[in-house]
Amino acid sequence: MGAAAATLDYDAELMLRVKEGDGTSFGVLLEKHRASVIHFVYRLVQEQAVAEELAQEVFLRVYRSRSSYEPTAKFKTWLFRIATHLALNWLRDERHERGQERLDDVSADLPVRQVSDRRPSVEQRLVYEVKLEEVRRAVAALPEKQRAAVLMHKYEDMEYTQIAKALGCSESAIKSLLFRAYETLRARLAHMGRT
Amino acid sequence: MNCPLEDRNPEMLVAYAAGELDLETARVLEEHLAGCATCRLVAADQTAVWKALDAWDAPSVSPDFDRRLYRRIDEGVRFSWWERITRPFRPMPLRQALPLTASAGLLLMAGLLLQHPGPLAPVAPHSEIVRANQVENTLDDLDLLRQFGAADSAESVHPDAM
Repeated sequence: MGAAAATLDYDAELMLRVKEGDGTSFGVLLEKHRASVIHFVYRLVQEQAVAEELAQEVFLRVYRSRSSYEPTAKFKTWLFRIATHLALNWLRDERHERGQERLDDVSADLPVRQVSDRRPSVEQRLVYEVKLEEVRRAVAALPEKQRAAVLMHKYEDMEYTQIAKALGCSESAIKSLLFRAYETLRARLAHMGRT
Repeated sequence: MNCPLEDRNPEMLVAYAAGELDLETARVLEEHLAGCATCRLVAADQTAVWKALDAWDAPSVSPDFDRRLYRRIDEGVRFSWWERITRPFRPMPLRQALPLTASAGLLLMAGLLLQHPGPLAPVAPHSEIVRANQVENTLDDLDLLRQFGAADSAESVHPDAM
């Protein structure tokens, strides 16, 4: 593997072992990234069963393409590129099937009360559900790439370079795309988090 | 510090809210925020968005996720030979697939014809057999005619003799 191997991340090394026929390394990669891939896809498509099905497809593709794997980027970047591609394709097909169904913004004007987290009650639970629904709708209303970028940035701790590679954009494009996305989210959600 | 918004560097406020800035940069930015109401509002709202997004937990993963995945992998290994054959054709548009399929079919037929030239060749021996039969029949017919001829001539003699 030479000098390139020295700069490889551990996941890429594991993947190279999978390429050489080591099934255990695939198990390690699955264990490490299973939850994050499912959660990322879930937040993109917002359906748990679909998210798991798509995540299965992500790992299947990783396994099937083991023989041609080349560690040109971080493993996680490659993994999330596959995940984003599959999830966005599913969303496009789904939107097409539903005839461009638009998301209503009915909950955007609902009043949100500030409650203490110390003693969760039924009322607090309901408030939480309303807030959660508001967050979900706000994220779902973002354009696809903005949505994927926000989810990778917020929940996956991915750097701008990684997000850029996963989405096939330049780093500067991702910075401005993220700022526009957060601008939209600030307009819709900022009132929820103010103390 | 220059104003991040005026300096076309608004990502700095996002990074600040996300806690991505190093301590020194964050300190300098906070000094700026103290005197810039616009940046202060953006930073506060961005922090609020960050908190709101924190509330969104994803559901837990199904316990049989791995089992289902490994079953699909096993199935994939079992049927990989079929995939390998069909994969090149699957994403191909119809306009590309049709001429290719037709060409492949023609090549296959040509190959079969070259390998088994049988269907045309047997015609010759068969026609020879027919011809031999015909000759045989013709000879038989001639024999019969000759016998008839002989009988006729005998009969024609016989009345005269009567």
